[in-house]
Amino acid sequence: MKNVLVAGGGIGGTIVANRIAQKLGEEISRGEVTVSVFDRSEHHYYQPGFLLVSMGVMEPKETSLPEREVLDRRVKLYTGDKGTITKINVGDRQLITADGVIHRYDVLVLATGSHIQMDEVPGFSQGAETFFSLDGARKMLRAVQSFTGGDIVVDVALLPHKCPVAPLEITLMLDDYFRKKGIRDKVNIHYCYPIQGVFGIPNVNKMMLGLFESRGINIHSQFTLASVDAANKKIVSKEGEELRYDMLVAIPPHKGAQVIADSGLGDRRNWVPTDKYTLRLKDHDDVYVMGDTTDIPISKAGSTADYESYTVSHNVAVDIKGDGSKKTYPGSVFCYIATGMDQATYIKFDYNNPPTPPTPSQIHWWGKLAYNKLYWSIHARTLI
Amino acid sequence: MSSLKVYKSIDATSSSCSGPIGELSGAMNDALPSECVEIIVGDPATRDDVRVWAAKTGNRVVVDKEEQGKFRIIVEKVK
Ligand SMILES: Cc1cc2nc3c(=O)[nH]c(=O)nc-3n(C[C@H](O)[C@H](O)[C@H](O)COP(=O)(O)OP(=O)(O)OC[C@H]3O[C@@H](n4cnc5c(N)ncnc54)[C@H](O)[C@@H]3O)c2cc1C
Repeated sequence: MKNVLVAGGGIGGTIVANRIAQKLGEEISRGEVTVSVFDRSEHHYYQPGFLLVSMGVMEPKETSLPEREVLDRRVKLYTGDKGTITKINVGDRQLITADGVIHRYDVLVLATGSHIQMDEVPGFSQGAETFFSLDGARKMLRAVQSFTGGDIVVDVALLPHKCPVAPLEITLMLDDYFRKKGIRDKVNIHYCYPIQGVFGIPNVNKMMLGLFESRGINIHSQFTLASVDAANKKIVSKEGEELRYDMLVAIPPHKGAQVIADSGLGDRRNWVPTDKYTLRLKDHDDVYVMGDTTDIPISKAGSTADYESYTVSHNVAVDIKGDGSKKTYPGSVFCYIATGMDQATYIKFDYNNPPTPPTPSQIHWWGKLAYNKLYWSIHARTLI
Repeated sequence: MSSLKVYKSIDATSSSCSGPIGELSGAMNDALPSECVEIIVGDPATRDDVRVWAAKTGNRVVVDKEEQGKFRIIVEKVK
């Protein structure tokens, strides 16, 4: 009996487990292989929906489903203490869960994701709204709906973070929301970014600078968040700039999962060293790493995890069958970028081909909404 | 040269949403003073960006070499 274990049942872990089950269906039914997903939660959260919840476009309940409903029935699921991984021992090919059970693997997929660090910047959790959690998105929606005027500061604390385009999206959505509400003249929007410009890819940065300028959005970069003074409603940068706010919408620093640190597998931010083509844990040919968990400088996005799942599932099947040639990951990423409350553009790129975002339009907005709606029925269940 | 403590090495030759400077600034945030971050970039304009960023943030470029059409830069965290 061979065991394929998937650590983490978020976007990446779920999709890859479903694809592996499809590829190893015969072996599973003959009792030669098991495929198991471990997650602390019974619920699968579709985090891209949190942005839309924070602006009232999507309902909170649309952003989660029981993981069992999304997983292929041939995949075993462990949740709660049985699914909470406390240690990964790559030397002995073991994964240990909070109930004390040791699970042995032949192939392991690490997909434990990235996690927001609300306490890393002093004052952050007291002073900032953030749509990077479901509760935060719900709370932010109330703040947005009751906002009558003043300074809105959108701040990115530290790079890299998941969904790199989300700060651009929320800024442009807020701008459009208050225009449509007829009070944009009472709202000043500021965008603070820790590197020069508003985004890291040159032609996307150029396009967004033009959009920001035409929408009257004030840019503060390079602005590296040092602290939030919630009592006096101001933020201070490491560069020495101070900015007053009435509403602070901030993207907190991110880290890989704690279990990565506890298992000695990552760097100081718990990103796992990963070969950018094979998606293997460096120096280990029986461990794959995908999604936000990797240290690959690309994009921590659900679409990245989805694209990577083709490579990982194929190669896991080859490893298990002991037959066939391996695939490599070409660095594919696809992300919609909302540029208002009814328009969007997108970026599609890979390691060798930078993106060329099309002119924002309503069609791409509908594409973004459709992707979100179809996630549960098509993408997570890997019908395509 | 051999005494450099490289905390992290970043291959920034491909497109990345945070961009080479975003990746570098993130890694430098976690490096300790006197540790270094190595970054490989694919073009001279990005190499210049790295140099400008290092100067602006008070860090020090300790290695800057062209190797097979790519640029290897090592930045030391000063404070
Ligand atoms: C506001 C917002 C908007 C976004 N918009 C987009 C978008 O438009 N497009 C896009 O492509 N991406 C978007 N993303 C990013 C996307 O959600 C993530 O990149 C994606 O979820 C990464 O998938 P993953 O499997 O690596 O991690 P996750 O989906 O985060 O899953 C990780 C899983 O690991 C589990 N886990 C962690 N530690 C343990 C442990 N010790 N034991 C057991 N289980 C554990 C967690 O419970 C979690 O279920 C957005 C994210 C946010 C927050």
